[in-house]
Amino acid sequence: MYKSAITLALSLLIIGCNGSDPAVIEPVEPTPTPQPILDHSGLAPIAIDVIDKSEYLSGGDSTVFVKNENAFSRKPEAIIADFQLDGFFTQGDHLFRTPDDGIGPILSTGSCQGCHLNDGRGVVPQSPTTPMTSMLVKLANGKGEADPMYGDQIQPFSVDGFISGNTLADGFSIHDGSVSGVESLGEAFPYVEFEIITGSYPDGTRYELRKPTYKIRDLSYGEFMADVRFSARIAPQAFGVGLLGAIPEKNLLALVDVDDSNGDGISGRASMVKDVFADDSADKVIGRFAYKAQNPTVLQQVAGAYLGDMGVSTSVFSNEPCTEQQTACLLAAESENKTAKEPDLSDLSLALVEFYNRVLAVPARRGYDDASDTWTEEVTAGRKLFIEANCSGCHTPRHITGDAKGSELGELSLGGLTANTEENYAMSIAVLSNQTIYPYTDLLLHDMGGTCALTRETETGLSCTTGAECLYVQRCEGLADGVAQGDASGTEWKTPALWGLGLVQTVNKDSSFLHDGRARTIEEAVLWHGGEAKDSKDTFMHYSKAEREQLLAFLKSL
Amino acid sequence: MKFSSFSKVSAALLVALSLTACVEDGDDGVAGVAGANGVAGTSGVSTFVTRDDVIKTNANIAYAAYSDALISAQDLKVALELFTATPTQANFDLAKKAWLDSREPYGQTEVYRFRQGPIDELKADGTLGTDDAGEGPEGLINAWPLGEAIIDYVEPVDGLSGPETPANAITDNIIANTADYPTIDATTLENLFEHGEDGRNVTTGYHAIEFLLWGQDLNQDLSGAGTRDNTAGQRPVTDYSSTVGACTSGSNAATDDICQRRGQYLVTTAELLIEQLKRVTEQWEPGSGDHYQNFVAGGDVSLAKILEGMGRLSFGELAGERINIALIENSQEDEHSCFSDNTHRDIFLNAKGVQNSFNAKYVRIDGEVIEGASLYDLLVVEEQHELANKLRGSLEATMSAAAVIDTKAKTGMPFDVLIQEGINQPNIKAVINALVTQTDDIEAVITALGVTTNDLRDDTEQEI
Repeated sequence: MYKSAITLALSLLIIGCNGSDPAVIEPVEPTPTPQPILDHSGLAPIAIDVIDKSEYLSGGDSTVFVKNENAFSRKPEAIIADFQLDGFFTQGDHLFRTPDDGIGPILSTGSCQGCHLNDGRGVVPQSPTTPMTSMLVKLANGKGEADPMYGDQIQPFSVDGFISGNTLADGFSIHDGSVSGVESLGEAFPYVEFEIITGSYPDGTRYELRKPTYKIRDLSYGEFMADVRFSARIAPQAFGVGLLGAIPEKNLLALVDVDDSNGDGISGRASMVKDVFADDSADKVIGRFAYKAQNPTVLQQVAGAYLGDMGVSTSVFSNEPCTEQQTACLLAAESENKTAKEPDLSDLSLALVEFYNRVLAVPARRGYDDASDTWTEEVTAGRKLFIEANCSGCHTPRHITGDAKGSELGELSLGGLTANTEENYAMSIAVLSNQTIYPYTDLLLHDMGGTCALTRETETGLSCTTGAECLYVQRCEGLADGVAQGDASGTEWKTPALWGLGLVQTVNKDSSFLHDGRARTIEEAVLWHGGEAKDSKDTFMHYSKAEREQLLAFLKSL
Repeated sequence: MKFSSFSKVSAALLVALSLTACVEDGDDGVAGVAGANGVAGTSGVSTFVTRDDVIKTNANIAYAAYSDALISAQDLKVALELFTATPTQANFDLAKKAWLDSREPYGQTEVYRFRQGPIDELKADGTLGTDDAGEGPEGLINAWPLGEAIIDYVEPVDGLSGPETPANAITDNIIANTADYPTIDATTLENLFEHGEDGRNVTTGYHAIEFLLWGQDLNQDLSGAGTRDNTAGQRPVTDYSSTVGACTSGSNAATDDICQRRGQYLVTTAELLIEQLKRVTEQWEPGSGDHYQNFVAGGDVSLAKILEGMGRLSFGELAGERINIALIENSQEDEHSCFSDNTHRDIFLNAKGVQNSFNAKYVRIDGEVIEGASLYDLLVVEEQHELANKLRGSLEATMSAAAVIDTKAKTGMPFDVLIQEGINQPNIKAVINALVTQTDDIEAVITALGVTTNDLRDDTEQEI
């Protein structure tokens, strides 16, 4: 299906290019004027010099005009104006912020907002002894296999750390503490240490980057599998995802260029994943969410986060985050079940959180004056430099959305959900449908380069093989994490959306950039780019200081 | 201008107008609204009002309701000062009574939320914003649910009294942590409000006071895990003891300074509450208040705001967040006044506020009745008799359903018991359904009056 979709997309493109396929289009008159080349959305490509007025409204009708610390927490006007939708949003917001009473037995945090701070990004712990509370560590080997004991994610805490009156430390892991199968503890304590590395631009300007080393100590259930790799990830900003979910799949597949046939050094692969709601489980759809595009829908992403990050079961993922081998965790899960067999979170609650997350609005661009329809000079210049450096080769500026269909769980009402039927499917979300949006992503996987190496060593750096003092230590060059997930290899990442970039540190001043938050500034994030993005980064580095500032000003205006 | 004289004058005027209308049906314009030269009168209209009249009355009621909230918050502060100075059981009871009393007018002001009023948009610098919510004093006044663990001791019962993320917890709690917070004063509490940008780190407002008076609702057996019953939080009066060596933190002994600090916290919170309510009330002051002036001059945009506040409170906030969430999560912590078990009043009073806005009638805490030009009257004047009656009926149905919850709570079955599976959920669902119906009718009124709540935000694009 994947290949045929590409073929279809390609043939569509061809039609779009010459417009002369007689089987499809009847030529009206023999005109020598060639049809304009259309982009993946079927629109005239965006111009390098002329900024379309609509660019200011990054989220189309889902754009809001807030630029303070609440910029990522807003609902579109169309939602406010509809009392019913307003009510669903309000309830979803409440659930997003509130820990469910079914959290645990092991978890990374207690509520959605616990990681998506202020609906924005998480933060990197300030010291090696501070636990990760708004970022997490994924586990897999280079083949994408999860650890047989620990699963695909480290849950650093047991629910004891989240009980009122206790402190987080009550839920910490202890070396071999859960091995006997009695005490359910957090799984392990991951932490990060940074080394400052330096470099310079061709014009001699120096810069500093923080290079992370990831270390894991206090493994409660014994050792990891031999070829384990760790992928530390900061919670991303949560808004705009309903729009990304509504981009027609064929438009995204039209951007795929696996063999780099256009020779721009950028390939771009779709992460094809299983949609848990698909009728035929063999069918795969394009993944859009999470850092390696593992999840195809907001609902699947949300349910996955409830399971993996909070230990809350749903009808989508009815298990708890314990693996079959984690006896202590399983026993604790058994006693957690307050009402037998029912998931911790009801479908109604899950659908409310899904709705909330889907319609969380996108902040409007800054640097634009609506009255005079003008952009600041530096933003205009920076945009041009961004396109000329082919940053837009992956950070695709514009998409259009199709029909943002209603929830797979059914039609929302205050009383409950009305299940979908063939004739009566949940109503589409109008404010997300048929919009022109500017997320600056192709949602495809790109090889960003780098390599990783894992060692066992003590805190002081001595080599070791086993024991409480023997840490797992992962050092990587570049952006690689060594973890394969689905179609994505250990050097591949999904292009993240750039909208709202300039407000990230307004919403949360301690936020930082890239998948693991290593970049303290947007400039540092650009400088970490490698692999398919190396040419673009080199172009950036060769820009003059003034030009680099213009490009960064453009990014900050997003 | 005093309200008493205003309302008397307008009442007399209304009586005169209604008498006129009874004499003539006005069909030929002879006794129509503008006399013989005017357009045809409306048959059977007993009251004539204009849109601007409705807007003015709505503003005057806002002032009266916020004034009552302010006055009763001052009374609350007096009661708290008395109690902390002389911490007897009798004074403790009086303090709780004063808190419950203070909730009565405040609950009726909440229909003035969700409509770009000062409660949501009055910024710290005293100017009015144009953003929808987030910058106004509402959070400082009435934020919930509380992550009460930031304020005082809690029992280890569930994960619901902490912050959104443990990273935003503070060591111990503000009252116990004498090292980091040596002084309990307004600055300390305001600085820690939403500590770490965390919406559950609520350190001020009604519900902080409620927690300090009642403590966690752990039910009769105080385990927090037992059967849910009709008890509220059972904080012992000895938590405020001024007798040397007698201070407690619940069932544990505490040092004397803890009781003292708890008392300081209580009074300081009341002071902050008064300060914030004062700011909002001043915005609504007839004549001089900035928002009052803008609002009464706002025409149809203001009319739409009235209806928007009614609709959004009815559906999203009340039926949705305050009732439905508690119901579907079956969670004691998700009820609005979870420490005092006063949620039935919150529900009743919020609904009452919506009805007040429709009927243009508000009974002040001293018994004085403020009334004037109503939406009901306006709909009749604008020949929407049936719709006027329909919404009147649906609001009444909501009030009667809310009265059932209110009565059940007062006779031993509070909201947190009612929401449990297999108890009296139909009573709760009846209120939700009634609120949904009234919201539909409010939407129909918006359409009938040709105003649109969308227009309210038309100017926001200019803010960039």
